[in-house]
Amino acid sequence: MKRKLALLLLAGCVSVPQLKAQIKHIEMRVEGMT
Amino acid sequence: MKQHLGRQSGVQNVEVSLIDGKVEITPQEDGQIDPVHLMKATYDSGVSVAEIDMTARGKIVTDSSGNLAIQVAPNQSFAIAPNQLSKSLESLAGSQIEVTVRGQLYKKPAGKKKAEPSNPLKLLILEVQKKE
Repeated sequence: MKRKLALLLLAGCVSVPQLKAQIKHIEMRVEGMT
Repeated sequence: MKQHLGRQSGVQNVEVSLIDGKVEITPQEDGQIDPVHLMKATYDSGVSVAEIDMTARGKIVTDSSGNLAIQVAPNQSFAIAPNQLSKSLESLAGSQIEVTVRGQLYKKPAGKKKAEPSNPLKLLILEVQKKE
C-alpha cells in the first residue's frame, strides 16, 4: 500500500512540470530567407 | 538563422523550413523565452518576420487598465487583443484556472517591408485548447 502511494506521488511530481504555465511553442513565418 | 536563434535564451530547438518560410521554436521546459527578443534576433540574421504564432499556457489576469492578459510566468504576461474567443476567457480573470491558448502575437502590416512590432505585443486568440 505504501509502495503504491509512493509511486503515485512520484508520478504526480513527474507530471506537474508539464502542466505549469509557460510558452509551449512559437511559430514564425519569415520572408527573405534563402 | 537557425544557429542564431538556437543561441537565444530559453530556446531548446529550432526547426526551419525553407520551402514555406516557417520557423518553429521549442522553448526549454523550465526556461523563459521572449518572443520580442526572438523577433529581433530573426531580423538580425537578415530576414523579416511576417507573422508570429504562439501556444502558451497560463492564468487569465487583468492588467492595471482592466484589459485581459495571459500570465505565462510570474514576470511575463501578454495582453490579449479583444475578439469573440477572448470574451469566453473573461470569466476566468483572476481565477486559478489555467488555460492553453494558441494565438497570433504579430502580423506584419500589408505593404511594409519591415515593421517594428508594437510594444507590448498583443495576443489575438485563435484557439482555446484547454481549461484546467
